[in-house]
Amino acid sequence: MLKKISINKISELAAALMGKGLLLAPVKENSGHNFAEIKDPEQVDLGFHNTVASPKAAFFPHKEDFIKYETGKPMDAASVIGLNLPPTFLLGVRPCDVKSFGIMDIHFNASGIIDPYWKQRREATTIFGFAFDLEKPAETEEFYQTLGIGAADPEGSDVFMIKNGGNLLLDSITPKGEKLLGELKMLNEGKAADKKYYDEYVKKGKEYKTRSMCLEPGAITKKLEDLFQNTDFWNRVSSACISCGVCTFVCPTCYCFDICDDTLFGQGTRRRVWDACMFTDFTLEASGHNPRTQAYQRLRQKINHKYSYHVRKYGVISCVGCGRCTKHCPVNIDIFSIIEAAMKA
Amino acid sequence: MTDFKQIENNLKKEAKRLLEAGEVTVALAYGRGYDAKHPMPFAAKTIADVESIVFNEYCNFNMARYLMRYPAETKIAIAAKAADSRAIIQLVQEEKVRREDLVILGIPAYGMKNQKTDEVVDSKTTCGLYNPVLYDILLGEEVHWQPVVSPYDVLAEYEAMDKEARWAFWKKEFDKCIRCYACRKACPMCYCDPCFIDQNKPRWADKAPQSPGNMMYHLTRFHHLAGRCIDCGECSRACPVDIPLYLFHKKVAKECEEMFGQAAGMKLEDKPVLVDFRVEDSDKILE
Repeated sequence: MLKKISINKISELAAALMGKGLLLAPVKENSGHNFAEIKDPEQVDLGFHNTVASPKAAFFPHKEDFIKYETGKPMDAASVIGLNLPPTFLLGVRPCDVKSFGIMDIHFNASGIIDPYWKQRREATTIFGFAFDLEKPAETEEFYQTLGIGAADPEGSDVFMIKNGGNLLLDSITPKGEKLLGELKMLNEGKAADKKYYDEYVKKGKEYKTRSMCLEPGAITKKLEDLFQNTDFWNRVSSACISCGVCTFVCPTCYCFDICDDTLFGQGTRRRVWDACMFTDFTLEASGHNPRTQAYQRLRQKINHKYSYHVRKYGVISCVGCGRCTKHCPVNIDIFSIIEAAMKA
Repeated sequence: MTDFKQIENNLKKEAKRLLEAGEVTVALAYGRGYDAKHPMPFAAKTIADVESIVFNEYCNFNMARYLMRYPAETKIAIAAKAADSRAIIQLVQEEKVRREDLVILGIPAYGMKNQKTDEVVDSKTTCGLYNPVLYDILLGEEVHWQPVVSPYDVLAEYEAMDKEARWAFWKKEFDKCIRCYACRKACPMCYCDPCFIDQNKPRWADKAPQSPGNMMYHLTRFHHLAGRCIDCGECSRACPVDIPLYLFHKKVAKECEEMFGQAAGMKLEDKPVLVDFRVEDSDKILE
């Protein structure tokens, strides 16, 4: 079902979605655009290339409270914090980021242990994917083309949006999306010409130029396995790394977390908080031993996890080429260059 | 002013000479990144490495941050702009590195740019000096034709706020913090191992990116850098959510300077201001 709306009227669409539940959409902040809960429909701003942080927090928040307890009380006196989710609408997700949700599903929703928090959020949410603007060049850091992701791939979205001049075309991809589009009365019907434009745009998206190299998952896995003991290589590519957590926190596919008990004056909360394999204490064991004390070991872990272990275990690279880690790295370490160097090594 | 390309050539020449002569085993400078706008901190260890050295207006990183990676007594050549040289002095004062192990390649620079915004990096976000305070070899002509602007001028707006407004200002800023610790990691003076925020026995603040943990982290870090921050502004440039950390550091630095008449990292023979006691020291801190 193809619909359309004038971009000037996007706040009407936003208002309608807010009327149905919770709307998460890009808003302009001083460091760039980010997904945020929309309080005022005018806040929604689709004039962005991509957000600073990935939209993963919509399903996997930076902190998630699980249990409230009181110290000294028996365990069954603790209360579980349930999720009470309204229908949620995640508007304006770029195709590479939509792709990341599928990769994260492997860990939270498909590998035997189902994470109820991730699952409930996924089920409550309707994803509005949004094609990149093909008229404008990709940012230097991006490389989703390398990973076979087009700039206008609708797969994974419930509704997919494409800009056509002053209009926004919306196509339903899933039954959930179709039902929703049918209910949004401010949308106009798409004409045959719009359909033609939409289909051609999706096709053209495949050709959209980002940084690109020939990358076969099996080959890079093998290469990285061979390189594992090559300390010189890892020292060289990590020599600038300052071991901060920017790359992992902005990454759409980094999912490591820590479970923390936070107790103040006898009142406690058990929660999950994002963690980062770049932090020195990430692998610190209770004995005091730390198997990864060096920056090169930690960066090696990160690259191997995404491009080697993940491929061996699940058959896919755990990276979507959004380029955020490179773009926000304080010392300009570039994952694409590391993979390229590994392939040549 | 010597142009950046010339400085790059001089940097290569000196690094090559020092490595060849065996005077140093590593030269800390800037290397090629994924494009010209994104150079990287770089450690040249061989003569072949020297070819990868670059210098341009985006080479803001404070290389002093990498000094303590090397075992004691390693001979190191280090490229140092104004604030970087102050960091080196401060680290020598704090006995973290020895002056005799370093060959400081001084870089006078005007017109460095922030790679994210393309704005000129000046006294608003850094110490505002153009010439290195201490060096062994100067790689370009000193800049004396630019007006010297006080690094504290930028504080006017902040100082006009009352206590409540300042509290509200920082609360709002710290709410943005994602606790990636890039500020701490980019800082040449943040070398505590472990940092208090990483300790878990006791844990000083919760790990979640929220108040009061964010407040605890930043306020403790701010105060731990009192009298030690050399105002390179790297913390603010590293921050992915643009928290203006430099404002607090500048404010504390200004108060320290007014109270004790000494700015951090300006003279090798100084003692760190909060380590040193002098009878004539201001009592204002006790009031």
